[in-house]
Amino acid sequence: QDGLKRCLAEFRQQLTWVERLDVTLGPVPDPVSQGASTSDAVDPENDFQREMSFYRQAQAAVLEALPRLHKLQVLTRRPDDYFAEMAKSDQQMQKIRQKLKSKQEAMERSEKAKQLRAMRKYGKKVQVEVLQRRQKEKKNMLNAVKKYQKGLSDKLDFLDEEQTSSQGNKKGNASQRTKKGPNAKRRYKNQKFGFGGKKKGSKWNTKESFNDVSSFQSKVAHNKGPGKGGRGGKGGKKALNKRPGKRARQKMKNRAR
Amino acid sequence: GKWKNKERVLIFSSRGISFRTRHLMQDLRTLMPHSKADTKMDRKDQLFVINEVCEMKNCNKCIFFEAKKKQDLYMWLSNTPQGPSAKFLVQNVHTLAELKMTGNCLRGSRPLLSFDPMFDQEPHYALLKELFIQIFSTPQYHPKSQPFVDHVFTFSITDERIWFRNYQIIEEDASLVEIGPRFVLNLIKIFQGSFGGPTLYENPHYQSPNMHRRLIRLSVAAKFREKQQVKEVQKIKQKGTKVLVEEDPTEVVFETPAEEKPVEIQLVKPESKSIVKDKKKLRKIQRKKQKKLFRTEG
Repeated sequence: QDGLKRCLAEFRQQLTWVERLDVTLGPVPDPVSQGASTSDAVDPENDFQREMSFYRQAQAAVLEALPRLHKLQVLTRRPDDYFAEMAKSDQQMQKIRQKLKSKQEAMERSEKAKQLRAMRKYGKKVQVEVLQRRQKEKKNMLNAVKKYQKGLSDKLDFLDEEQTSSQGNKKGNASQRTKKGPNAKRRYKNQKFGFGGKKKGSKWNTKESFNDVSSFQSKVAHNKGPGKGGRGGKGGKKALNKRPGKRARQKMKNRAR
Repeated sequence: GKWKNKERVLIFSSRGISFRTRHLMQDLRTLMPHSKADTKMDRKDQLFVINEVCEMKNCNKCIFFEAKKKQDLYMWLSNTPQGPSAKFLVQNVHTLAELKMTGNCLRGSRPLLSFDPMFDQEPHYALLKELFIQIFSTPQYHPKSQPFVDHVFTFSITDERIWFRNYQIIEEDASLVEIGPRFVLNLIKIFQGSFGGPTLYENPHYQSPNMHRRLIRLSVAAKFREKQQVKEVQKIKQKGTKVLVEEDPTEVVFETPAEEKPVEIQLVKPESKSIVKDKKKLRKIQRKKQKKLFRTEG
């Protein structure tokens, strides 16, 4: 050890700092510091950490040395019109630039391909949604037409598509309350099961339907009741409850259309 | 100004170096305008011949690359007339020509030297620092040098080794790009004289590459031998003579045979219990059965 120190003393040259341009400093503190334990000992296996520590050491040296050099009037910035031979030839720099460009292009291409795939997926989804919406509208339109045919709604609102749904609701509610028509339960059932009614199982002549006498009204059947007496007095009240015959009904239908 | 600091560095090598080493040498020559080149030295000559070569070329410092077995690269740094010299093992060499190093600097511009603070803490590192400074710094007003300072050499100590990097200074706010080359120096010994003389310092952490390779081979061999041994032990266990145990006459004493049960013959098929997997399904089946009955009855 002493030998080393003696040797160093002999060997050391007394030169001004400008000649040597050396700086001994630790690295610049990392703004994204990860705790005291890691900052002390740089793990040599961790390549990125190691290189970053070297980089920061160089930065610290530069930050200290450049002001000193400026004070000593040593130039550090190369003027733009100063052309001189560089350590790496222009050809080499060209090669480097080409490589960087190709890498960037490859990345961009992959990005574009990814985006295209995503767009296609989205487009498909939107298309499906549009088709479904159209189906729904068609269904609603047909129902509205049927309602009108049956004579329940005398407005031709469904032709007017510009009317927004909210507006339509407000107007509809006001008129629906004053209308007579079928009561709420009937309307709900019509809306749920379609206006034609449950078609498939409606006219079976089964034991149940045969035994089912709920739709029998004795007064209607025997043509008795308050209608007989009231018709003379009031007139027309019972006539509303009495269901007209087949021919009369058809006439009514044709007339309404 | 006048060129006062007359440092000249001789950079050359021995025979048998690889292309990478040759490129590294050329890179160092371009980066250091105060350097001189020389032909390859024959391995037959002794090392102190280098001192004479340096004197002939009028150089007072020397960087000598020595390649052994076409694999290991050693580097000597020395102050030729009488000063100290150091021998290093060089690893992880990357040259200027690598495409990942995108920086560039003026040929012959003076470098800024940046050292790790650990260089000041140990005497041998302090000596090495002085050696590096004198060798790598370009003298001011050297005829081949450019007056600007636009790159910085970094010497850092990590993992008992010295890492060398070269960065280009782009902006005044210290944004850097690597120019290269890069290498790692593993100190072996420091001598008092140039290429000889008493040893001032020997690195305890240094392991020669031969040793390193030998250890790897030994570990592989040891693993193989262990496997063999385990196999042999297993063989012995298998083959091992089985000891015959004699029949013990007193064993039979406590044996009591079980009582005989009467033989039962079943004539009626036992009721099979249905495995109910699904209670709902069962209920459904039951309801269907009931309906059927109801219909047939009614």
